[in-house]
Amino acid sequence: MKAFAKLLVANLREFIRERPALFWTFAFPVLFILLFGAIFSGAEETEFSVGLVIEDTSYAAQGFAEALGYVPVFKLHEGAREAELQALRDGDRQAVIVVGPGLGDAVARGQMGDINVYHDPSQTTVVQVLLPIVRKVVAEFERTLVQSPSVIRLNERTIQTHELRFIDFFVPGILAMALMQLGIFAAMPLIVQRQNLILKRMGATPLRRSTIVASSVGFRLILSVVQALVIILIGRLVFNVQMTGNWFYLIGMVLLGAATFVAMGYALGARARSEETAMPLVMAIQFPMMFLGGVFFSVEMMPDFLRPVVQAIPLTYLGDSLRQIMVDASALHSHLVNICVLAGWLVACLLLAIRFFRWE
Amino acid sequence: MVTPVIEVSGLCKSYGEIKAVDHVSFEVEQGEVFGMLGPNGAGKTTTVEILEGLRTPDAGSVAVLGMDIRREMRHIKAQVGVQLQTTSLFPLLSVAELLDLFASFFPKAVNLEELIELVGLGGSRRVLCRDLSGGQRQRLSVALALVNDPTILFLDEPTTGLDPQARHSLWDVIEESGRKGKTVFLTTHYMEEAEHLCNRVAVVDHGQIIALDTPEALVRQNFEEEAIEFQAPQHIPVEALEGLAGVTRALAEDSHVTLYTRSVPEAVSALMQFAEGHSLTLSELYIRRATLEDVFLKLTGRRIRE
Repeated sequence: MKAFAKLLVANLREFIRERPALFWTFAFPVLFILLFGAIFSGAEETEFSVGLVIEDTSYAAQGFAEALGYVPVFKLHEGAREAELQALRDGDRQAVIVVGPGLGDAVARGQMGDINVYHDPSQTTVVQVLLPIVRKVVAEFERTLVQSPSVIRLNERTIQTHELRFIDFFVPGILAMALMQLGIFAAMPLIVQRQNLILKRMGATPLRRSTIVASSVGFRLILSVVQALVIILIGRLVFNVQMTGNWFYLIGMVLLGAATFVAMGYALGARARSEETAMPLVMAIQFPMMFLGGVFFSVEMMPDFLRPVVQAIPLTYLGDSLRQIMVDASALHSHLVNICVLAGWLVACLLLAIRFFRWE
Repeated sequence: MVTPVIEVSGLCKSYGEIKAVDHVSFEVEQGEVFGMLGPNGAGKTTTVEILEGLRTPDAGSVAVLGMDIRREMRHIKAQVGVQLQTTSLFPLLSVAELLDLFASFFPKAVNLEELIELVGLGGSRRVLCRDLSGGQRQRLSVALALVNDPTILFLDEPTTGLDPQARHSLWDVIEESGRKGKTVFLTTHYMEEAEHLCNRVAVVDHGQIIALDTPEALVRQNFEEEAIEFQAPQHIPVEALEGLAGVTRALAEDSHVTLYTRSVPEAVSALMQFAEGHSLTLSELYIRRATLEDVFLKLTGRRIRE
């Protein structure tokens, strides 16, 4: 126990004195948040510029246009189809909503009517924020068609309480990414210590290997919580991202996520002879996860052929749960699914690491 | 009554085809400074690392402090101090922090301040390991080996790569440990080191012990002669040199010649006549006692370094 605590402190000292490690752990995710937050915060204030093409003269079409007019963040431009689509291509519109001819007739006959939304999928904000709003409007509008028209005022409020800004999605994603990086590089100090024969030297003392690993992992887990607090604090102070959920659940999820990626880091580094051989492997795993795990691009906009990968990587599930807890975002999966997937990865990686970790 | 603290019998260790340690047997007694002397690759490090519990032997029995290394290694590790050939430390910890860390690995520890003073690192206790000089690092490494007040101290080539001054200051630390009654087991390929520090020396080559005794006895048994060394301008046939009056044996390696003699004046005057007769200019001529180096040369036909 004394050795465990001393090793933990030794890890901490080496970590603090190693400037690059400090940078990657704390400054890097914070920089991401500041950078992306700054880029997208401008767009939020100036609303979404939405083209509206009404090619139907029915009461239903007019009513829908009116309902859209109630959305405070939409700046509507009514115009002809070709002109509006050109404006979208030119980047003057974030989306164009087209109500084609025959909507009113279809609704009157009790059939499905079509409303088309054109957008540029490379614009994350549009996908993450604008489309859900349109969906809500359509859903609520649909209900008002069937029920009493007075419900329309209620619609407005529903939309606003669920309105999440880009940065609200982004901060939990960055936290997930930071936890991944913290974990996946967790085996590096041990690999370096093996390479430098420090492990060998400690092997000549009565110290147990399990104590060495436990202190190293324990240090990473403590670090993950500190890192989460730093990221949440920056999100709160700079971009007013409110952490609305339960702190107990949040810390639990942070620890589970960190533990999963620590185990993955050990599994990846298990056979590596040196830091130099471990690094490319870790990089090769962490970059795809970073870009496919829903941190920068919404998981929903991934092409179909990447879906199996997206469905497999633990970062997707960690990010999803953190978003749900922190900003009450809509769920991709239930917490139970997320926890099971993460725990599955944790156990699998742990077994690989225990089986294959090279000590000499 | 002396009790063996290290008992090695029929020890073997191979790496593939190479027999690193080949049926080695010896005993080390309590309080002894015991040296393993041999060239690189002779099996010294493999032997000492087996004793330290860092490698497993293929065959043979090894007992340290009366305990079997296969079954009671953790108990053994608590009572021995180890310095590895390659100094391996946490680069970003200071001297004091590192000693404190290693002290926590053992059930008992010495006073760390006294230890720092003993190895002469009093002025560097807050210096990070990566900023230490080679000599300081080596002394810290020895200090780490002493942190648990060990009964046996294992030192694997403790002074390799050090300048003479750093080497002598480390010798002082090792001698001090010996005076305190610790058993010291060290490996070296420096003859002077073995002669200076060791009570007994095992000369090893190709994984086998080829001689084992006190340094004086090793020299005495192999040589009653003194050595005359010089540089010759060209190769001189050994037969011609061995025919000189008073010369018992001669060795020529390129231009470097060593003559062994029981009568230095007789051999020197014969050599001078020989040089004059053949118009040879001899340089760097000097006369010395036979040393372990000569023993090694005689036993293996090679010099220990290279």
